[in-house]
Amino acid sequence: MTWNIIKKQGLQLLRNPQQLLLLIGLPIILITILGTALSSWMNGENPDIRAKVAFVEHSNEKEQVEQFIDGLKETMPSGELESISGNVENLMVIDTLKNDIFGNEEIQEFVELDITNPSMLNQLKEDNTFTAIIEVPENFTYNMLEKIILDKNVEPSLSVLYNDTHQIGGSIVESIVTQFQEQFTLSVFVNKNELDQSVLQMDEDGIIGEVTTINQKNSITSKDYYSIGMAVMNVLFIAATIGSMALYEKKNLVFDRVILAGVSRWVYFIGVFLSGALFGFMQLMIIYLFAWIAFGVTWPNLLAFLVVTVFFSIAVGGVTVLLTALSYRINSEMITNFFSSIIVTIMAFLGGSFYPIGDSLVVIRTMGNFTPNGAGMSAYLSILRGDGLSEISEHILFLLIFAITTIIVAAFSFPKRGAVK
Amino acid sequence: MIELVELTKKFKQIHAVKNVSMFIEKGEIVGLLGPNGAGKSTAISMLSSLMEPTGGDVRYLNKSMLKNPAPLRKVTGMVPQEIALYTELTAEENLRFFGRLYRLRGTELNKKIDEVLEQIGLTDRRKEVVNKFSGGMKRRLNIGVAMLHDPELLIMDEPTVGIDPQSRNYILETVKRLNSEKQMTVLYTSHYMEEVEYLCDRIYILDKGNLIASGTQEQIKSILSTEKTILVQANRLTDEFVNAIKTNPTVNRIIVGEMEITIIVPKEVNIFSWLIKLAEESGLELSSVNIKTPTLEDVFLHLTGRALRD
Repeated sequence: MTWNIIKKQGLQLLRNPQQLLLLIGLPIILITILGTALSSWMNGENPDIRAKVAFVEHSNEKEQVEQFIDGLKETMPSGELESISGNVENLMVIDTLKNDIFGNEEIQEFVELDITNPSMLNQLKEDNTFTAIIEVPENFTYNMLEKIILDKNVEPSLSVLYNDTHQIGGSIVESIVTQFQEQFTLSVFVNKNELDQSVLQMDEDGIIGEVTTINQKNSITSKDYYSIGMAVMNVLFIAATIGSMALYEKKNLVFDRVILAGVSRWVYFIGVFLSGALFGFMQLMIIYLFAWIAFGVTWPNLLAFLVVTVFFSIAVGGVTVLLTALSYRINSEMITNFFSSIIVTIMAFLGGSFYPIGDSLVVIRTMGNFTPNGAGMSAYLSILRGDGLSEISEHILFLLIFAITTIIVAAFSFPKRGAVK
Repeated sequence: MIELVELTKKFKQIHAVKNVSMFIEKGEIVGLLGPNGAGKSTAISMLSSLMEPTGGDVRYLNKSMLKNPAPLRKVTGMVPQEIALYTELTAEENLRFFGRLYRLRGTELNKKIDEVLEQIGLTDRRKEVVNKFSGGMKRRLNIGVAMLHDPELLIMDEPTVGIDPQSRNYILETVKRLNSEKQMTVLYTSHYMEEVEYLCDRIYILDKGNLIASGTQEQIKSILSTEKTILVQANRLTDEFVNAIKTNPTVNRIIVGEMEITIIVPKEVNIFSWLIKLAEESGLELSSVNIKTPTLEDVFLHLTGRALRD
């Protein structure tokens, strides 16, 4: 019986080319437009992205270098000492990072360096405008030189604190610091083995690097991002479409016929829920199939992708049956119209369908994750970055709870016999 | 077979149906006549178990159907006033969908679909989507869907609204045929008194939620046994002519049409010569003056002072 209702809904959708165009064609067009237009921005080639980096030094580097050279006077032969003394600038690693790397003209276009007093550190950590805070501990350079030149067993390390709400900017800064670190390690190796110093020339293109996620997993392209963003947004319209179709059934008395045929209203209710879930699932799969064929959007973990799609579709089914129940109760299309024109837009904004919500306020991102599309989107993005089922379990759990809640509210809202006419 | 006992429905402050009692015997065609807003649709919604009454009872085979309407639903076919079909689907797909709801499957379903399409004259249009059908064809399919499970009782709520005369005749003949060939019991609601007169064995007349008359056509028309109806037709009507008739103390009621006036007077009153003289004085040319056989419309006018289609 339920299958009969689902099959009928499917036929109705198939026979409505305008609706099909809106449900399938529109997201595909939007993915193409947004994915192409914003690809440079998403891929980090555009300097419009501003990353504000705080640089905190706990001690003066020049003094540390001088102190280190003074200490060498007693033990080191004068020739070698002269060579090291004449190369003081090269010994100032932090200075190199500040002036040569972050001071580089190209880097300055998108990274603003703010050299700050250590007493401001706690305040900086509270300030959400900073993408990263690079903290240089006491005697860092001195210890570093002891390790490089005297081969002492010390492990000086920089502390880099990233703001996880600045997704793109954070990955740029991380990339720069990682590049510098690798270059420096290589420098030590070359020095120790007396190799040609020319191999140590910084590769400027390499400094800019490519945008990677903050946790150094797979990168997300604009087409990946907008394929997911548009899919999770547009699938909400199927809920409104089926809700409208159900209300039409009530208004033209087809629903009465269904009831008179001895079909329980709960069978009909389940039919509407399953229609929303099934057609939502099919819509998502069609959009992702297109994204795969046209833009090469592939899923590293197919099982996780399917699990998210199934749970997200169930949540869409929940929305469908809730819209249907409310529309039946007030006997008006107002609910579905309001949902598709206002609520979907708000949910899409919060969920991050229009731009990367991770770069905005934490509160918006949190709110976004409390929308089905936002939770679905976060889960999909995590899968693309290389995460598995365990990392996205909280999003899946939210989708399940959301679906159960909407179904329960819908069941209580669904009018009983004779309640509305 | 079916009995409505003092059925009442109240929506907030509005009494849509007030203490209506009626019965339907097996094999009858019963008419429910009344103007728009009389409460006909509300009454049949309660009868068919789609709406819970505020008061009263619906009984089928002497058992109340209010708590458990399943036995009544099983034997009822409903033809709603609206085209209750999926217009994006073909005629056959509609019949198949509703047939499955009635638990018909396989060969039995196919056979039933063929039979119904034949009965409603849409066999050669079965593969066409309903959107492309004329109003009359949609109405026929609307009836066909209600006949799929061979109901004992067919409830038809104004099934001929907004269709051409040819389709209307087809529907009326179909109802007659179903009744005579399949002994199907029919409750037929309409505000077209000529349809009810043509089809129905017994009639109930509703007005403003009240049952104002019931019985066979003869019984109802006998209400007018003390009056007669005179139909006056003229090339035009003037206010002077109409007002003179209205103010005549022997005239009980009049209905003014475009070029005709229906006048109800006591049976013993003869106003023929007066009417002809009045027309001459008013400069009108009368085309006919006839005494009409009383119709249900006349009865309704007599009982309510209003025409059925007002």
